[in-house]
Amino acid sequence: MTDPLLPAWSEPFANPGHALRRPLRVRGITREWAWGGATGSGVRVGIIDSGLENDHPDLHGRVVENVAVEIGADGPIVVADEPRDLVGHATACGAIIVGMAPDVELVSIRVLGGDLRGKGTAFAAGLDWAIENGIRVCNLSLSSKSEALFPVFHELVDDAYFRSVALTSAANNVPGPSYPSLFSSVFSVAAHAEPDPFRFYYNPAPPVEFGAWGVDVPIAWREGRHTVATGNSFAAPHVAGLVALILSKHPGLAPFEVKAILASVADNPGRRHPWRTRGAGRPASVEAGPESDEPREARQGTASG
Amino acid sequence: MAPGARKPVGTDAALAALVAAARRVDVARVLDGDIETRLLQSIVDATARLFDAEAASIAIFESNPDRLEFRVASGEQGRGAIGLTVGPTEGIAGYVFSTGQAIALSDVAHDPRFNRQVAERTGYVPRSIAAAPLLGDGGAIGVLQVLDKRSSPTFSLRDMELLSVFAGQATVAIAAARLERDTGRLLRRALVSIDPDQADGDVDAIIREVTPGLDGDAEVPFWRLVDAVVRARSANGPPLALVAAILEVLADHTASSRGGIARR
Repeated sequence: MTDPLLPAWSEPFANPGHALRRPLRVRGITREWAWGGATGSGVRVGIIDSGLENDHPDLHGRVVENVAVEIGADGPIVVADEPRDLVGHATACGAIIVGMAPDVELVSIRVLGGDLRGKGTAFAAGLDWAIENGIRVCNLSLSSKSEALFPVFHELVDDAYFRSVALTSAANNVPGPSYPSLFSSVFSVAAHAEPDPFRFYYNPAPPVEFGAWGVDVPIAWREGRHTVATGNSFAAPHVAGLVALILSKHPGLAPFEVKAILASVADNPGRRHPWRTRGAGRPASVEAGPESDEPREARQGTASG
Repeated sequence: MAPGARKPVGTDAALAALVAAARRVDVARVLDGDIETRLLQSIVDATARLFDAEAASIAIFESNPDRLEFRVASGEQGRGAIGLTVGPTEGIAGYVFSTGQAIALSDVAHDPRFNRQVAERTGYVPRSIAAAPLLGDGGAIGVLQVLDKRSSPTFSLRDMELLSVFAGQATVAIAAARLERDTGRLLRRALVSIDPDQADGDVDAIIREVTPGLDGDAEVPFWRLVDAVVRARSANGPPLALVAAILEVLADHTASSRGGIARR
């Protein structure tokens, strides 16, 4: 189904096959080790979006703070916000994360609804606030092709990375680059269609590094409602949920360590064919496949490859 | 330019050259009329057909006040939306516009509040909707929506990607139309600065002759044109050479633009 017209960030994940084969994995890393028994406890997750509806039943009372970015005469300021969702999208993302990591603390950082001319500035201010306020995982639902915002986003995501804040961001299905999802320090996510929140793939051919469930996802929507949604922006919070689980069990991991763990326990196919690997000379700490030493029952949604 | 110097020597020759060159530029008037609306209409018609959908529509961002205005729509169910406006962060269209993220929602008929703003005014509440942003280099300029795919209650990944491709086409069409409009304005100002007594109708005729077929691909020639017009407006001497330079740029640009349109 290769079509040169399509940006097709989801394509490797839509039909997982040869493109996702990865011969080498880090030895001893299993899902059980990574997040077995974890609940997300102690991890603050920021939702930079349309505002969380705190009393939506699917959020289970896990929202601890609501702020909004306003653009004042002297630039952006972060103020306390009402516990409501202008659209429904933030609540959908928050509920996906709580569904996977029920004890996380959600922080609503609303950047939508204000003056659109300040959108990039508001987003930057919201992310900056998150970095300064103990957020460990941040789910972003905004992307831009604007070259003017490229350096702004680049500096921010680097800042987040160096301060061990994991940013999950939906890839944008438009031709050409869009930011910040395609920066290397971000957990960029596209959608796959397999209905399992814990099924995810690592893409060895970035820029989009992860594929997670994002098609026909039952979601929370505003005013206590529910609906069914498709889009990369519903895949990204699934990865945010996994990151929150890992960080709650292993506090202090840097984003690159979390990425390495996710890559090691992803559902990529191809691990039953060690003879296809590069062969001799690999480090002793790396194995051609964990099938033999990894408890299968610890892995949810094991790939069929 | 100093007052009193507004009609420099050589004006008649300059105008004659303009008119002659406008004819010489050999621009096919295949895109006359309201180019933007016609192109957008063809895109929503194709989108609705491709998705076998009840309706498709395009909303364009307008400022003062900020709003998304539904400019074109396809299908019986969609036509009621033409001319309606929604807030730029309101509902699905507003969300997609303000975040740049394409999304689809389905099974929405059970929620009467879904897309209420539009639904109340059109009497049409969709069961499913997919929306993709029209992303220009400077940010989103609008939203392309598809309502109620007939063959399936939901939208697939491929649907979302195809929708984004169509949105890209719509973005190019709008950029082309806007560049053409802006170029027309620049030419009008250039002509009027050369000869303030030139009748409006004559100016319009010249501009119409020269501008069809321009598009947004060739950024550099466009700015060469802008620079040339600026020089023409501030010139004290005979502007004939500058006008010729403008037309040369315009001719190059038009020729390359026609190639660009043919490729699409």
